[in-house]
Amino acid sequence: MSRSRWKANTLAAIFCLVWIFPVYWMINSAFKPRADLLTTTPKFLPTHPTLDNFVTAVTQENFLTNLRNSVIVVAATVVLSIAVGIFAAAALSRFRFAGRRAILVVILAVQMLPGTALLIPMFALFNTANLLGTYYGLILAYLATTLPFSIWVMRGFFVAIPVEIEEAARIDGAGTWRILFSVLFPLVAPGVIATSIFAFIAAWNDYLVAYTFMQDQSHYTLPVWLASFTNPTSGTDYGGQMAASVLFALPVVVFFLIIQRNLVSGMSAGAVKG
Amino acid sequence: MTTETPSKATSSTAAPAPRARGRRPDLTPLWLLTPAGLVIVLVTVLPIIYLVYTSFTDYNQRTLFTGEFRYTGFEQYTTLLGSSAFWKSLLRTVLFTAAMVIGSMVIGMGVSHLLTRLRGFWRYTTTVVLIMAWAMPNVASSLVWNWLFQPGYGVVNWGLDQMRVFGDTSSLNWAGDPAHAYTAIWLLIVWQAVPFIALTLNAAEEQVPSEYLEAARLDGAGEFTVYRVITLNFLKPTLLLVTILSVIWDYNVFNQIWLISQGGPGDSTSTLGVFTYKTAFVGFEIGQGAAISVVTTLMLLGLTAFYIRSLLKSGEDL
Repeated sequence: MSRSRWKANTLAAIFCLVWIFPVYWMINSAFKPRADLLTTTPKFLPTHPTLDNFVTAVTQENFLTNLRNSVIVVAATVVLSIAVGIFAAAALSRFRFAGRRAILVVILAVQMLPGTALLIPMFALFNTANLLGTYYGLILAYLATTLPFSIWVMRGFFVAIPVEIEEAARIDGAGTWRILFSVLFPLVAPGVIATSIFAFIAAWNDYLVAYTFMQDQSHYTLPVWLASFTNPTSGTDYGGQMAASVLFALPVVVFFLIIQRNLVSGMSAGAVKG
Repeated sequence: MTTETPSKATSSTAAPAPRARGRRPDLTPLWLLTPAGLVIVLVTVLPIIYLVYTSFTDYNQRTLFTGEFRYTGFEQYTTLLGSSAFWKSLLRTVLFTAAMVIGSMVIGMGVSHLLTRLRGFWRYTTTVVLIMAWAMPNVASSLVWNWLFQPGYGVVNWGLDQMRVFGDTSSLNWAGDPAHAYTAIWLLIVWQAVPFIALTLNAAEEQVPSEYLEAARLDGAGEFTVYRVITLNFLKPTLLLVTILSVIWDYNVFNQIWLISQGGPGDSTSTLGVFTYKTAFVGFEIGQGAAISVVTTLMLLGLTAFYIRSLLKSGEDL
């Protein structure tokens, strides 16, 4: 072990300790009984581990309703983004035509809009169309973000497929649509999975749109439920909220670890904002 | 990036049409793009047009019930430009964005460089730690922050208290004054932004040819000089992209500020995002909120154009 290696490892250890601390504190607090949470000297280890906080979290009156809302809206958003986006991604990667670059520029530019730029007009339009407080309104609002980046990310996977494969299929007499469905789509399957995860994370994490559009406890999604996690009698129940945060963050962290190879490329289109 | 289909012949001949009729343009891409095009027009283009339109009207809370609103010309814009609250929140946004971008870029560059020095266990562990921080949904991390910085039982106050430098900090209320609220929010944003910056930069930094670095060391250059002269030169395009993205994202930060300080105390942490949101959805001055959004969008548009240009320059093939 050389001196410089030792120095780098020490720095890494310090960095890791500092950076993981908030995550550790969330988990640690989630497993502590109330008496161990509210101590003037913090307990760094959950010495009396308990699942009480998790029980409190999932027995909250709106948890199941809000979980169901989240699952329905997120699933619909992911399916629609992929189903509609995959054709556009194929068009923008395997064909050359007038206006192609302009479309790609618009797709990238949409990601950079401030949140309120779409939130305000959608709110007014949905108010007129009676879509506020409905799944449809929320799904449409999410598509505004997830569809463009899904097209962008899937396009990257299409571009990576060698032309020779396509040519071989053509020589065998396959038509354009046949090539698309039997050759190209199966080959971008891994890309579809990665893109689905991006779309899932974007819709699952949204707080602002759901909070603004749904306007009712029973219509909210999980992030809004999480933020309003308070006990009316005794203020915020931090143990319960940390347990709820663990449950809410868990699928996202797992998915992140699955697609870490694709993270950096997906980010350039603003798929998961840092 | 991979190259695209090089010629028309390979990819855009539809079902072979008889040659005699001349070449018809291939309509396949049109059919492929139609569904997505319709959705994007519906959920993006139309709302943006409507945003601009409402910014020229007195659309407000009454309108939400009656549907009535009047065309008021540039009135919303003159009101806005004459409002000190707007200029203050613009100034806050610019300064705070600068602080967040500088903080996360400097730390991100440091961590990226540290990663090049690590092998095996520590490299793996550091990468996992970065991904964990990055993966935390920002609603969850904002709530964790509120707990970390909670007056009375928060672990941060306890830690500061143990240092015996700042006096008794055990009941310090971080949301109680602007400087503390900004510090807490800044720490949260930087904590979540560093992983993306560090990992993206590291992907580029690992590509720096080692011959260059060794040659410079043989010439007697110190580590810092080698980094400044050679590594930074190679990192320039990536640094530019990551910086522009960071500026755009930090400019638009909302959730973290909303959940930690609600823009308070008073309006002191009310950046443009919070200011717009409060105008449109607390006071329901939709027309005024639309005008602020239009102005913000125009500001960001310049940056976005710059981003896309840099992306093209860095070899992204459209």
